[in-house]
Amino acid sequence: MRKLFIYIIVGISLTSCFRLDDNLFDPEAGITEYKLDGYDGEQHFVLDASYAIPSNLVSIFTLNSQSPSEATPTTIYAIYIGDVNTISTDTVIMYCHGNSKHMDYYWQRAKLLAHCGGKNNYGVMMVDYRGYGLSEGEPSEDGLYADVDAALNWLKGSGLTDDRLVMYGYSMGSAPSCELTSKPRSLTPAKLILEAPFASAAVMIQDASVLGLPPSFITNLKIDNAEEIKNISQPLMWMHGTEDLFLNVNTHGQVVYDNHQGVYKEAHKINATDHDDLPPMYGYQNYRNNIDVFIKK
Amino acid sequence: MKKIIYGLAGLLIITQLFSCMPSRVVRPLDKGQRAVGAHLGGPLIGFAGTTIPMPFTSIMYAQGVTEKTTVFGSVHTTSLLFGVIQTDIGACHNLYYNDSLRIGLSVTPAVNMAYDKWESNFKLWPQVDVNMYWDIRPKKSFVYVGVDNWFELANTREHDQPQENRWIVNPQIGYTNVRDKWNHNIEFKYLAPNLDNEPGVVDYKGVSGKGAIGVYISFIRKF
Repeated sequence: MRKLFIYIIVGISLTSCFRLDDNLFDPEAGITEYKLDGYDGEQHFVLDASYAIPSNLVSIFTLNSQSPSEATPTTIYAIYIGDVNTISTDTVIMYCHGNSKHMDYYWQRAKLLAHCGGKNNYGVMMVDYRGYGLSEGEPSEDGLYADVDAALNWLKGSGLTDDRLVMYGYSMGSAPSCELTSKPRSLTPAKLILEAPFASAAVMIQDASVLGLPPSFITNLKIDNAEEIKNISQPLMWMHGTEDLFLNVNTHGQVVYDNHQGVYKEAHKINATDHDDLPPMYGYQNYRNNIDVFIKK
Repeated sequence: MKKIIYGLAGLLIITQLFSCMPSRVVRPLDKGQRAVGAHLGGPLIGFAGTTIPMPFTSIMYAQGVTEKTTVFGSVHTTSLLFGVIQTDIGACHNLYYNDSLRIGLSVTPAVNMAYDKWESNFKLWPQVDVNMYWDIRPKKSFVYVGVDNWFELANTREHDQPQENRWIVNPQIGYTNVRDKWNHNIEFKYLAPNLDNEPGVVDYKGVSGKGAIGVYISFIRKF
């Protein structure tokens, strides 16, 4: 009886495979098209008509993305805001969105970035990671990196050079932003902007459990921006709400900021601001101006 | 954002299973008596518009080694499903008993240990329960109040950040219905009442933004 009990315990342990990695991703399936300004789903803010982007400056297209573990590429969707014919001279912000829904959900944020420093001043590139929106496949950590790099590869092919690439990561998007700035593939970003970034999967687990549990008890995710940032020498701009109820400003963002070893960095802690509210709480004008100043520095 | 929180809650609420179970033994068993128990429950959380206790499970074996001391060991069955072997091993010792008032005081030191098959990480943390119980009738059903204490031995968290929560205090109250062969127990625990439950991705149900209320039931078969 005792042996049987031990066999059952060991057997369950060895054969069990519950991992909660997929819970990081929260894509919305089932959309049939990107609606952009016509999107009427949940949004945290909607910009007024002065932020409208002319239709000739909005391009929606597909890319082939292949992670190292894949035998065949995955088709993902991308949006470029700007004139695709002037990418060889423009400065472009690679916007890596968060873990929710799809690009429609982040469209207002991408538009705001395009207007930093003036109307349609910057090109903005955004992709739906695999499994998000119309992109094929299932979300994965490797997939995040491959999908953003597929966009960078497209930009490179369109004439973008390292010195005019600014990487922007919001929330979960801080993972591909830090990874591809720390370990560049197609292009090496000139600057890095992080809005409400993760420190690491480990910090998320320890914040919730109080005790310092090893992350491997729950997840195989290796997201570790706090370590990746140590290899990044490019200038860093960090923005974080002081009342972020999702990713604690002190245990997440501040750790990433403190670990940056580059020659220049600037921090913007926005009072009374939660995870999703930073642009409107900061003030659109302040947000746009400060990003523009940082990019031009 | 709430939807994001719910999505990620699954990743994170589960972490509580590593640190949260009801009192294994409050009143020692008789000398030589054995017991096997199943425990179910966890902290209350808001999930998908309602409040639920996390359904964490564990099984326990206990044996009375003297009239005053019972040793026990457990396996956390929910943890097993995640490839983590977790146990808590300890002893309940009766410090005091007043025959006329039928009030007793027990202390239960234990060691929690967990090991995962994925990266072979190991974690150990001590725990001490102190409970005062009142026998409603001699040797029969009893109620108890006490404090469950967890101790974090590590000085630092991930990324060499200071570990500020070294001693976690969890007050508790419970009732044990004692039958000839079975005990049935319900326990309410206020987990970490001194700690803010925000910011965080888990919608813990505490009091005024502090801690989380835990609810547990146990079924114990005695031999």
